Amino acid sequence: MNIENTQSQMRKGVLEFCILSIIRRGEAYPSDIIEEMKKANLHILEGTLYPLLTRLKNADFLTYRWVESTGGPPRKYFSLTDKGADFYKELEATWQEMANAVQMITQNGYHTVEEIQPTNQ
Amino acid sequence: MKKVININFQGRVIPIEESAYEILQHYTDSLRKYFAKEEGRDEIINDIENRIAELFTEDLKKGSACITDQHVETVIKGIGRPEDFDSEGAAEAGATSGASGSSSTSYTAQEEPRGSLFRNENDKVLGGVCSGLAYYLKIDPAIVRVLFALVTLGGFGSGIPLYIILWIVLPAKGMQANMRRRLYRNPESKVIGGVASGISAYFNIPVWVPRVIFALPLILGVFHSIFRNVWFFGNFDGFPDFIFGGFGGTLFLIYVILWMVIPEARTASEKLEMRGEKIDLESIKNSVQEELQGVKGRAEKFGSEFGEKAKAWGEEVGQWGKDVSNQSAKVYSSEIGPAARRAGNGFAHAIGVLFKAFFLFIAGIIVFAIFIAFTAVLFSGLGYGVYDLKNYVLEGFWQNFLAFNTIVLLFGIPIIAAVVWIIRRMTGARSNNSYLGWTFGSLWTIGLISAVFLGAIITRQFKRVESVQEEIQLTNPSNGKLAVNVMPADGRFYSMIWFDEDNEHEKFPKLSADEDSMLINTIRVKVERSDDSGYHAYLLKFARANTPTEAEANAEKISFPVSQKDSVLYLPEGFAITKQNKFRNQQVMVVIEVPVGKQIRLDNRTDEFDWFTVSARYRGRERGLSIDSDDDWRRDYGYRTDVWYTMTATGMERTDKKSDDWNADENQDENNNENKGNNDGYRYKKDKEIKIDTVDIKLKGKDTTVNIRLNTMLDRKVQKESDEEESPVRKKGAYVYHMISIFDLMRIGK
Repeated sequence: MNIENTQSQMRKGVLEFCILSIIRRGEAYPSDIIEEMKKANLHILEGTLYPLLTRLKNADFLTYRWVESTGGPPRKYFSLTDKGADFYKELEATWQEMANAVQMITQNGYHTVEEIQPTNQ
Repeated sequence: MKKVININFQGRVIPIEESAYEILQHYTDSLRKYFAKEEGRDEIINDIENRIAELFTEDLKKGSACITDQHVETVIKGIGRPEDFDSEGAAEAGATSGASGSSSTSYTAQEEPRGSLFRNENDKVLGGVCSGLAYYLKIDPAIVRVLFALVTLGGFGSGIPLYIILWIVLPAKGMQANMRRRLYRNPESKVIGGVASGISAYFNIPVWVPRVIFALPLILGVFHSIFRNVWFFGNFDGFPDFIFGGFGGTLFLIYVILWMVIPEARTASEKLEMRGEKIDLESIKNSVQEELQGVKGRAEKFGSEFGEKAKAWGEEVGQWGKDVSNQSAKVYSSEIGPAARRAGNGFAHAIGVLFKAFFLFIAGIIVFAIFIAFTAVLFSGLGYGVYDLKNYVLEGFWQNFLAFNTIVLLFGIPIIAAVVWIIRRMTGARSNNSYLGWTFGSLWTIGLISAVFLGAIITRQFKRVESVQEEIQLTNPSNGKLAVNVMPADGRFYSMIWFDEDNEHEKFPKLSADEDSMLINTIRVKVERSDDSGYHAYLLKFARANTPTEAEANAEKISFPVSQKDSVLYLPEGFAITKQNKFRNQQVMVVIEVPVGKQIRLDNRTDEFDWFTVSARYRGRERGLSIDSDDDWRRDYGYRTDVWYTMTATGMERTDKKSDDWNADENQDENNNENKGNNDGYRYKKDKEIKIDTVDIKLKGKDTTVNIRLNTMLDRKVQKESDEEESPVRKKGAYVYHMISIFDLMRIGK
C-alpha cells in the first residue's frame, strides 16, 4: 500500500463528479475541462479523461456534437443529457453526504488525537 | 540529420520525423493495448489521436517545420502514458467484481510460461511456429527458422508436415521477442538482400567478413577459370571441385534461405534491435524506472514502450482482477484480423524472396553468358567472328549500316541494360534518371527496325535460284573402275575455328590467307546411270539473287575445277566465294554418270561435303529466309562411301553383295559398317521411297558416341550407346561424359 495509489484512488472517485459538474455549466471541450481542473489544482491526463468521457457518453449521461475548429480537426463538444443531469444530482447528494461524513470523522479524529496526546504525556 | 515523412493523421497531412513517427506509433500501439478490453476502444483512441493531431497542427502553426521527437514527447506527456493513467476506468469499477488484487497475476507472468510451447503471434513468417520454439528455447527465432529451413531442404521436405502439425497443435500467443539482439536483414547497406550486412550487425563484425565469405565461391570461380589452363594449377583438381561444386552451391543456398527467413529491419526500432541497442526484458523494467525519473534516451524509449505495456497490463490485472485468460482471449481475438494479414504477408514474402533470388541468379548467369559469347563472337581476335563473315553477305553502305545497328542496338543494348541493372542492383544505387530507360528503349527500337529492314533486304537477295550446267571432260578409266576423291582447293585456306572442335565436319567455311575469299562446301555428289557405254560427269551450279539474270551470273562465277588422274576423279574440297561476288547460297552438284556394268567408289572424304539451302519465302506463315540443311543426301542417292558399287540396269549394287543397312547405321560407326552388314544380299532399290523425317547427327568422342536424332519437330532424343548393343568393335567407355551445349544446336541448324 503506497501513498500514491491511495491518493489516486481518492481522486478517481471524485473525477466523474467534477467533470460532470463542469459540463453541466455548458458545453465543454475536453482540453477546456482539463484546463479548468488544473486551475483548481486537480491534475488529470487527457489519456484518463477521454476514456472517462466515452464511458459516460456510452452510459447516455453525455452527448456531444462536432464543432469545426480553425486549423485543427473538428472538436467534440460535450454536454449533459437529462439522464446525466439526474445522475449528477445523485452524485452531488452523495458527495455532500460523503463530505460531511469525512469532515466529521476527520475533524473528530483530529481532535481526539489532539486531546489524547497531552493526556498520554 | 533526420528523415521527415508525411503521414495522414486523422485526415491531416503531418510532416513528421521518422524517429518521432516511431515514437508516436509505439505510443498509439500502447494505448490500443491498454484500452483493448474497453468497449469504446476505437472511439477513445480516435479521440486521443484527434487531440494529438490538433496539438501537432498547433505546433506546425507556431512555425515548426515538422513534428520532432520533442513535440511528440511533449504531447505524450500531456496526454499521459498508460502507466500514468489513473488506472481506474472509474465507471468500470462497478461493472467488475471490484475484488481488487484478487489476482496476483501481472504482465510479468506473460514472460515466464516457459513450461508450455506456443506459437508466437507477434513475430512470425508463416504461423509463428519457429518463433514460438525460439521463445521456448530462449534463442533467436532466426536461428530456429534457418535450422527449420535446412531440415526441410535437407530432409526432403520433412519440415513442412512437421511445421503444419505444430501450426495446428500449438495455441497462438502474443509474445515479446526474447532476444537482446535480433538478426535482421539490413536494407540500408545491402548488395543483394542485406543478409551479410545484417549478420555483421548481429555478430558485431565488419561487414566485409560475411560478404567475402558469401562471395568466395564467385571470386575463386573467376580465378579458377582464369588459371584453369595454367599447368601448375592442374595439381589442385580435387580442391577446386570441392569449392565450386559443394561449397559454393551450399553458400548460395544458405544466402537464399537467410534472405527468405530473416525479416528486413524496416522500422527504427527494428534497426536498433538489429544492432543490439534493443533492451531485453530485464532492462526494460529498469528503463521504465528511468523513464519515470525523467531519464530518457533514444534506445530506452523503445524499451519503455514495452515496459508501459507490461506495467499497464499488470495494473489492470492486479486491480480489477480480471481473468487473465479471458482477457487474453479478447485481446487475441481482436488481433486475428491483423494476424491473418501478417500471415498472408509472410507467405507472400517468402515466395517473393524465392522468386527474386532465383530470378536474379538466373538473370545474372544468362547476362554474363550472353555478354561473354557476344563479345567473343563479335570481337574475337583469334578466330574469325561473325563480323568477318558479314562482308560475304552484305553489300553497300546501307546494308552494312543496318547490320551495324542490328548488332549493336538490338543485341548490345539489352546486354548493356542488363549489366547496368545488375550493377545497380548490387550497389543498391537508385536512379532518378528516367532518360536512361527511354534512351535504351528508343535505341533498341531503332535496332529492331534496322533488323527488320536488313532482313527484308537480305531476303530479296535470295529470292530467285538459277542453275548453270558445266560439262566435265572425262576419259574413261581403262579398268572400268572410277574412284572419286577430294583434293585441297587452289590457294591456301584456313579453318575458322569458332569453338574448339576436332570434328572434320565443322571445318567449313574456311577463309583464305588474305581473308578476301571464303571457301564453302555446299557440294553433293550424285551417281546416275549413263545412257551410253562411257563415264560422263557434269556440274550443276546453283546460286541465288534478286533476279534470275543475277542469279545465273552468280552461278556462273562458281569455280569448281574437277581433275582426273587415271581412274581417280578429284573434286575440290570446296569452292571459293569472294567479298565481291558475295554469298548467295552457291551450291555445286556433281553428277557422275556410270555406264552399266562399270564400277564407282566414293572416298569418305566426300562425307565432308555439306548441303544446305537458303530460300526466301514471301508467302505463308514463315516469311523471310529459311535455311534447310540436308545431311542425308548420300542416303537419298543410295550409296555409301568407301564402297565399290557396280551400275546395273536397275541401279547401283554393292560389289561385295552386302546390304546398305541404313537402319543399323543409326547405332553404328561408319568405319564398322562393312563388318556389320547382314549377309542377306542386296536389298536396296533405287526407286525405293525414303521419307526424311529425322536427321541423325553423330558426335564421336574417344570412348563413346552420342547420336542426336532430330525429327521434323526438332524433338531431340539423345541416345548414349552402350556396349551391350550390337557394336562389339566399340571400345568400352570408361565413363560417359557428354555435354550437349547450345552450340551443338546451332550447328545442327546449319
